[in-house]
Amino acid sequence: MAAFFAIAGGAALAMCQWLVLFRAPVEESMGIVQKIFYLHLPLAWWALASFFVVFLASAVYLARRTPRWDHLARAAAELGLLLAVLALCTGVLWGRRAWGVWWTWDPRLSTTLVMCLAYAGYMAIRGLGMPRRRQALACAVLGIVAFLDVPLVFVSARIWRSIHPAVFAGGGLDADMAAVAGACVLSMGVFWAGLLAVRAAQLGQTCRLETIQRRKMARNMEESWTT
Amino acid sequence: MLRLSMAIARKDLALCLLRGSGLLQAVLLGLVLIFIFGLAGETGSVVDARTAAAAFWLSSLFCMVLVFGRLFGLEEGAGARSLLVLCGAPVQAIWLGKAAAGFVLVACGQCVFLPATLVFLGQDVCGPLWRWAAALALVDAGLAALGCLLGALGHGREGLLSALLFPLLCPLLLAGIGLGAQAFGNPGEDRGWLALAAAFDAVFFAAGLALFGFVFPGDD
Repeated sequence: MAAFFAIAGGAALAMCQWLVLFRAPVEESMGIVQKIFYLHLPLAWWALASFFVVFLASAVYLARRTPRWDHLARAAAELGLLLAVLALCTGVLWGRRAWGVWWTWDPRLSTTLVMCLAYAGYMAIRGLGMPRRRQALACAVLGIVAFLDVPLVFVSARIWRSIHPAVFAGGGLDADMAAVAGACVLSMGVFWAGLLAVRAAQLGQTCRLETIQRRKMARNMEESWTT
Repeated sequence: MLRLSMAIARKDLALCLLRGSGLLQAVLLGLVLIFIFGLAGETGSVVDARTAAAAFWLSSLFCMVLVFGRLFGLEEGAGARSLLVLCGAPVQAIWLGKAAAGFVLVACGQCVFLPATLVFLGQDVCGPLWRWAAALALVDAGLAALGCLLGALGHGREGLLSALLFPLLCPLLLAGIGLGAQAFGNPGEDRGWLALAAAFDAVFFAAGLALFGFVFPGDD
């Protein structure tokens, strides 16, 4: 089922490239460069969705202590971090071509940057050699705390930015653009669900293999003591 | 619970202040930061209010990281963390006590950072002192709340604690810099920073009380 979602999502994304190149109108002021938006927007939205999944899975893990919720949180954090970094890269490239600046402290970009750093810290804990249960607890707490920070980061960036002049003014989307953007978001969502499920399953299997290996080693040691 | 929290805070403050080593390093690091900000400008130039406020809060932030690393390292070094957990009181009392000790230690550091900022970065405090003291206390409380919660995760590893804390503290730091800039005479800065700092404190005090019990005892 997970592989089906991943493959279907990949195919849908490929179809969306056709929509972006041949159906979506070319934006008047920014020209063809604007089409990077159809990649940037789904990446940003599904990165935020990933961080929300980390929050939910972490809360459920703290309540139930079932390893599969920890695996889901870890898979969502990895995927969310990847998507957020790609969203930032596409945002930087778009900003440079469209407005001549590499970066603007737009609240959404600033929030994405801060969340990237926060979840990079989360992955740093995953990379430490802590006992498994302690690591899972620590990451669950951090996953909850990091997501609680999201609205605060957004509001603070908005207040800060109101002091500085805006580099660009946002506008609305026309109907064709909105339709193509919606299709890209949905396709990315299907692909995201597939990747998340596959990665969570991988982590579960890795955990089971490690458990089997540890039990085998313990049994071998016990046998070597008794003989 | 409050009695135990105060006992823990008194114990930690006595250990840190009487020995002096933990706070001294933190204060020296903060002062170096302020000096570098002062030296970085052109000769004779004036550091603007927002930059001075940023230097002050960065010094406070580094001080907080070292302070909480030290506070949680006290029990780790003596192998006494389990004993603290087994004392029978709610784990939240330990969080409150550690946060209170951290708050006082950071405030002690800021008693050095603030005059250094005024002198070396050429600033003056404008407006009612009680307002800026209240703003300082509000931001310091947020630093203590989150620093204490994540300090328990870091287990005395300052590098990890910094990596975890700095992104999450961005909203509070921006609020501190905004309020600090206003205190140093930039009148256009009053844009809801106090409300943001209060919201941050409310969220992370609640998170600290709810989540500390999961990170401090742990399963080793």
